Amino acid sequence: MVFEGIAKTALLGFEMGMTLVLVTVGLTLIFGMMDVINFAHGSLYMLGAYFGLAVVGVTGNWWAALLVAPLLVGLLGGLIEYFSIRPLYGRNPLYHILLTFGFAIMLHGLVTEIWGGQVQNISTPAVLDGSVDLVLFSYPLFRLFVLGVSIAVTAALWLAIRQSDFGIVMRASAHDSEMVDALGTDVNRVFTAVFVLGAVLAGLAGVLLGTARAVDPGMAASVIIQAFAIVVIGGLGSYRGAVVGAFIVGMLNAFGPMFAPQFTDALLYLLMAAVLLVKPAGLFGNPEAT
Amino acid sequence: MGVRDLVGRRFSAHAQTDVLSGRVRLGLFGAGVVAVLFAPVAQVVHPFWMDLVTHMFIFALFALSLDFVFGYAGLLSFGHAAMFGAGGYAAALLIQNVTASALLVLPAAIVVGAVVAAIIGWLSVSARGIYFAMLTLAFAQLFYTIAFNDIPAMLLGVEAVTNGDNGLVGITSLTLFGMDTGSLMSYYYLSLAILAGMLAVVTRLANSPFGRVLQAIRENEDRVAFIGYNVDRYKIVAFTISGAMAGLAGGLWVPFNSTATTSMLHWTTSGELIVMTLLGGMGTLWGPIAGAFLVVFLEDSLSAIGNWEIYLGIVYIVIVIFAPRGLAGIFQTVRKNPHPKVLLRRAGDALTTYREKVFQ
Repeated sequence: MVFEGIAKTALLGFEMGMTLVLVTVGLTLIFGMMDVINFAHGSLYMLGAYFGLAVVGVTGNWWAALLVAPLLVGLLGGLIEYFSIRPLYGRNPLYHILLTFGFAIMLHGLVTEIWGGQVQNISTPAVLDGSVDLVLFSYPLFRLFVLGVSIAVTAALWLAIRQSDFGIVMRASAHDSEMVDALGTDVNRVFTAVFVLGAVLAGLAGVLLGTARAVDPGMAASVIIQAFAIVVIGGLGSYRGAVVGAFIVGMLNAFGPMFAPQFTDALLYLLMAAVLLVKPAGLFGNPEAT
Repeated sequence: MGVRDLVGRRFSAHAQTDVLSGRVRLGLFGAGVVAVLFAPVAQVVHPFWMDLVTHMFIFALFALSLDFVFGYAGLLSFGHAAMFGAGGYAAALLIQNVTASALLVLPAAIVVGAVVAAIIGWLSVSARGIYFAMLTLAFAQLFYTIAFNDIPAMLLGVEAVTNGDNGLVGITSLTLFGMDTGSLMSYYYLSLAILAGMLAVVTRLANSPFGRVLQAIRENEDRVAFIGYNVDRYKIVAFTISGAMAGLAGGLWVPFNSTATTSMLHWTTSGELIVMTLLGGMGTLWGPIAGAFLVVFLEDSLSAIGNWEIYLGIVYIVIVIFAPRGLAGIFQTVRKNPHPKVLLRRAGDALTTYREKVFQ
């Protein structure tokens, strides 16, 4: 039936959008705080998937991978911020694009060198194997799990940014880092923490999507471009914008192939360009930042 | 603040000798002589070297095109692959369907590159900095998906135009005045001549009042606008000229490589180009050429050891952190402080600054 098809596609689009949120919030928080466009963010997502693959290979336990791989990615993200991004603060922000692009090249080479260029799979944990009957259609249980985790993390993060002490410091630092620094908070540490947080989320998305789909060295390049489109549509630095943008792009990805398969990708870039031309700062962006 | 700031000491033709100083001109002339003499030697020693150097020439031309907008006007284009690919596809389609004459194919590649750049530039120039980079990236990816899904074929109702993911293969070489340029040596000289010619054009442009305005825009576009220049128009014209050169590079690359593929249009190609320009040193004319030579050489020689991307990435990261003006900047520092002791001290200073910034 048509209705079933639309309902299933809508759920798929919702799932795609919510998982993209995990990748894009890191990107947008990092930009909002430090004005850094992180080209290596897709590579951190890819590393999450490969670390997950490695942990499952060693321990045989998928849940261990879900826990350990994002932490490893977070550690690496912290090191990158500490030793290479931090010394560049105060320079033209374009240098951060250039620097992180270097990391993207290096990590692509490194992953291909270690794990090879072929497509690999992380096996789904037995508990989450199979599908669920959702009245109108059945849906893979694992992908529902991914959707649930994404929603939970997005909501928790939103609450944390709104309510927690760290969230308040974060927002204050994004607003006026010099003032926060003067008031006795080490802004550099806040920056590192946000970078680590973004990397952990990207790593988490890597494990989840690496299991749901596939793991290959090209996944960094394809996700980063989508993530850029999302943050640009939503507004660079806006959390709400990242969520709304990811939702729009998820739906576009799901419904596009139904109606205009050849135009789906083109539509994404047209949408991105159209939004930028009408609202240069994106839907929820701060126009003064341009 | 006023006109004097713009056309005064700092930007006068006398003081600003950096565009191409006498010594650099001499160096480039020497390099040209070496390049001309290189081909017969390579022919005897190992023809493969000619292939590699031709590859370098074409990407040097491509890098020069980015340098003109990024290095001079300060516009970080993340979409130069669009013009490179458009020129390349135009050349491929002409060679396959109309003529292989270089006198028609290369100008067509230039025009197509210029038109694509004019459109992207016109739509993007009002955005600044990061947003400009993102917009050019979006438009370039649009061209990529158009070629990848062969949307022209669908619109025209024919079977294939860009031939999608497979690309256009078996492109024959160009002819020039009825002669085939298919031999490695003739293509080597053709590319060298075009690179030298375009270098002369860009030198002339960079030294012209137009080039000075671009540099002023790079330094402070608000001031230039206050004085009364139409900044957007200058940017669009610069972007179009740059796109024309990128299209020419694409038009040269396709017959050399005998294929036109979607990878020419992919954003990673734009990224690679930025790596070349920055490694060499943007804003100097010989820097990006040297950068393109270095990257092509590294790609080729490091692939024997393992994955060249790892080493290229590391070299690039170190350069961005410690020598943001690239090889050209290192060269200038060495020339100003020829004494090894002074150089060592400067390197030590750089490390100290880095350490202070990291462990403050």
